[in-house]
Amino acid sequence: MKLDLITRIVLVCTIAVLALLIIFPLTNILITATHENGRAVFSSIFSSPVTRQIIKNTVLLGSTVGVLGTLIGFLLAYAQTRLEFRGKKILHIISLIPLISPPFAFATAVIVLFGRSGIITRDLLGLSPVLYGYPGLVIVLTTSFFPVAYMNLLGMMRSLDPSLDEAAASLGSSKSKVFVKITFPMLIPGIASSFLLLFVESIADLANPLVIGGDFTVLSSRAYIAINGEYDVAAGAAYSVVLLVPGLLVFLLQRYWAQRKNVVSVTGKPSGRVRNIESKGAKFFLLSIPFAMSSLIIMVYVTVLIGGFVKVLGVNNEFTLDHFSYIFSGIGNDAIIKTTLLALIATPIAGILGMILAWLIVRKIRRGRELMDFLGMLGIAVPGTVLGIGYAVTFNHTTKLGEFSLIPQLAGGGAIFGGALAIIMVYTIRSSPAGQRSGIAALQQIDPAIDEASASLGASGVVTFKKVTLPLIRGALLTGLMFAFARSMTTLSPIIFITTPDTPIMTSKILSEVDAGRFGNAFAFCTILIVLVSLAMSAINLLVRGRSIESLSNPLN
Amino acid sequence: MNKLRITSITSVAVMLLSLTGLAISPAGAAVDRTGKTCVQEGRVVNSGGVTYTCAYTKSGLVYSQGRKLSGSLTVVCGAMENWCAAMTKAFTKKTGVETKFVRLSSGETVARLNAAKANPEFGVWHGGPADGFGVARLDGLIEKYESPTRHMIPAKYQDTDGYWTGVYVGALGFCSNKKELARLGVPVPKSWADLLNPKLKGQISSAHPSTSGTAFTTLWTQVTRLGGVEPGMAYMKKLHNNILQYTKSGTAPGQIAGRGEVAVGIIFSHDCVAYREQGLPLTVSFPSEGTGYEIGGVALVKGAKNPEAAKAYIDFTLSAEAQNLGPTVASYQVLTNPRAKLDRRMVTLKKLTIVDYDFGKASAAKKALTTRFDAEIAVAPKV
Repeated sequence: MKLDLITRIVLVCTIAVLALLIIFPLTNILITATHENGRAVFSSIFSSPVTRQIIKNTVLLGSTVGVLGTLIGFLLAYAQTRLEFRGKKILHIISLIPLISPPFAFATAVIVLFGRSGIITRDLLGLSPVLYGYPGLVIVLTTSFFPVAYMNLLGMMRSLDPSLDEAAASLGSSKSKVFVKITFPMLIPGIASSFLLLFVESIADLANPLVIGGDFTVLSSRAYIAINGEYDVAAGAAYSVVLLVPGLLVFLLQRYWAQRKNVVSVTGKPSGRVRNIESKGAKFFLLSIPFAMSSLIIMVYVTVLIGGFVKVLGVNNEFTLDHFSYIFSGIGNDAIIKTTLLALIATPIAGILGMILAWLIVRKIRRGRELMDFLGMLGIAVPGTVLGIGYAVTFNHTTKLGEFSLIPQLAGGGAIFGGALAIIMVYTIRSSPAGQRSGIAALQQIDPAIDEASASLGASGVVTFKKVTLPLIRGALLTGLMFAFARSMTTLSPIIFITTPDTPIMTSKILSEVDAGRFGNAFAFCTILIVLVSLAMSAINLLVRGRSIESLSNPLN
Repeated sequence: MNKLRITSITSVAVMLLSLTGLAISPAGAAVDRTGKTCVQEGRVVNSGGVTYTCAYTKSGLVYSQGRKLSGSLTVVCGAMENWCAAMTKAFTKKTGVETKFVRLSSGETVARLNAAKANPEFGVWHGGPADGFGVARLDGLIEKYESPTRHMIPAKYQDTDGYWTGVYVGALGFCSNKKELARLGVPVPKSWADLLNPKLKGQISSAHPSTSGTAFTTLWTQVTRLGGVEPGMAYMKKLHNNILQYTKSGTAPGQIAGRGEVAVGIIFSHDCVAYREQGLPLTVSFPSEGTGYEIGGVALVKGAKNPEAAKAYIDFTLSAEAQNLGPTVASYQVLTNPRAKLDRRMVTLKKLTIVDYDFGKASAAKKALTTRFDAEIAVAPKV
């Protein structure tokens, strides 16, 4: 396909942005991985049972979270679109809450509730389960990440054309047969992309393995250990390269699978009406997991909330406002304002970048689209620690091409804006992939004939994008934006390597409070963070929806 | 009315003139105060734009070498957030040098210093552990600086070559949850042998020696007190049976014990005291066979942008005045300056049995020992 000029310009700009945000810093850090200690890591994959076990753990964790998270997301989306029941709206809102999970808060609350001397496990049930390790990680990661799958699938299911279901039903198919033969195949791109996103995110996550991972070492925590405990950046980089392999494999698999079963359902032609499931038994069965999940979420967040208002949660439950006054009396204000500001700047950039990438990948480029897709996803596929060091190595000085200063110093104390630009860049590249995935899933469902119609009427690629495509993927964009903001506000591990005295970041303050054992302060900080993100998400929702002509696949309808 | 105003303006002008005169006159006759006796440690005088600090140097309480201080300073700080804040704030107040900090763990510090080697963003590394300084020195990240007050600090708490100097010492101890111990019917552990009590199975938390300096101190303490790597590893293997899981962070075992997930955490005692002060039901005890310790130090970053300010900051951190800030911000490490005040929440090292901890040997053996620990102990089934 020949690309028009503007599309070409967009393509070149996008590649330049990706080069700056991810390719350049990662290349720098990957070169480090080829040093002696890094090579030792690679050979240990074959020689050391310890390393092999770590790889197995990583794949096991990623797959479990991917499957469970996608399943829960699917059930919730199915309940929203195909079932009528009381509390539907509330269930929807609760399902979105975990998008805002500040590092540490979730894991700690789960331990307080369900740990060995947990409020529910020991005090109510008389049990003493050991959560540290695989079970704890699965609970925490699945709960924190499933909303992405949910939003992804919800958008798709809303835009599925029910006339196909109707046709099948009128030809005498049972409800379950309609689901297996019609609905499910149409959802495969969404399911595959959800699984990929959850897989990649859970294996690159660091904060949770550190808090609740116990003995269960995964590649991301191994990379962290190499850098933090062994002063060995080369080995850390090497472990991260190994980490990219399972991610890459899953990525290729899902592409292969989703591509073959691609079904277009948004055709622009009129469609029928969804027929809901009425059977009580089926309803009960389908709703049990969503309601169990939302009870867990409520318990966890209420725990975090209460934690900020009592002396030491679970130990001394006396009411106090000390934690909040501690934060507002000095150490917190600056961090709260600056973190919010930086995240607000990064959010639209990340959302738009994700959509443009999706559009280029699905509609515009043929050769190299896999590569482009993968590059866009790299931001979350590498552990934050490694990304952070990559930024520190790359942007802590002026990049020169001969005598010419190509890139000014962006990170570190001496950089312009006190190093704030590097933080915005990290926020952007870490939060655009969710938008990219939901954008791709949404676009794959839309018949290119709509675009072609626009093009044949003389509209350029960009005009078509703006007038036709964008309104159709507004829901996906919304997902991308909300996720970007939540993600930016809760990012921790890469920030550690580029934060400066001028850019105090809330998450690193939370970490300090946890280190000092002041859980009350940490919980209070988390509560503030959750409130801020919820406010911003509602604002984004209003803003994007308000301008929508017709919110076809808007998940927040 | 008018006249009055004119008079007042004149008088203000006269006052201003005389003030500038005052300010100028010492500059005209700038006195080098170096070596002059003074009365109060930490007092600062400014003469001709040169700052002299009253300090205990080798020749007694005198004004130490004067420094022209200006500009700003960024410290990379390895201790608790409010400790870092208190230190930098006090230094700013004293000298007028705007001092800020970033709080990082030692691994992060080394990685960041390495990344910005050509263009260092920090001037001083304050509160880093001895082994971290060892690595930083090998990587050429820190510079030799011997402060005039350095002789005050006991020799075993500083680098013999002058690359770093200790500001505090932390002793390894047991951090026990009284309620959990009572529930299990186990007395507060008083020895390494007590930790092997079968009743404590799955009730002890320790960090992993590869990730945490604290846990490596535990490991090396066994090697030292039992007289060799093999018996040391053998003890760790027995202890493994009682360990619930190895945490990544060194201080986490104290928090896990505090929340009652386990009965005993092996951590530095000052961290346990800090958690206890936060309201966790914890009690500190020490092993009778001998325990290990860590040193928190201070070092000059190589190529520091503002070396004069950085050096003045290091001088400051070694003074009793600065070290006394510790307990005011809930940091209860033992202070290295013998003139610093003893807080009742600090441990008295003299009352403990301390093993002869060789930091050089420990660092050299670290890689091999942690690899062995990973392969032989961490994965072993618990019996």
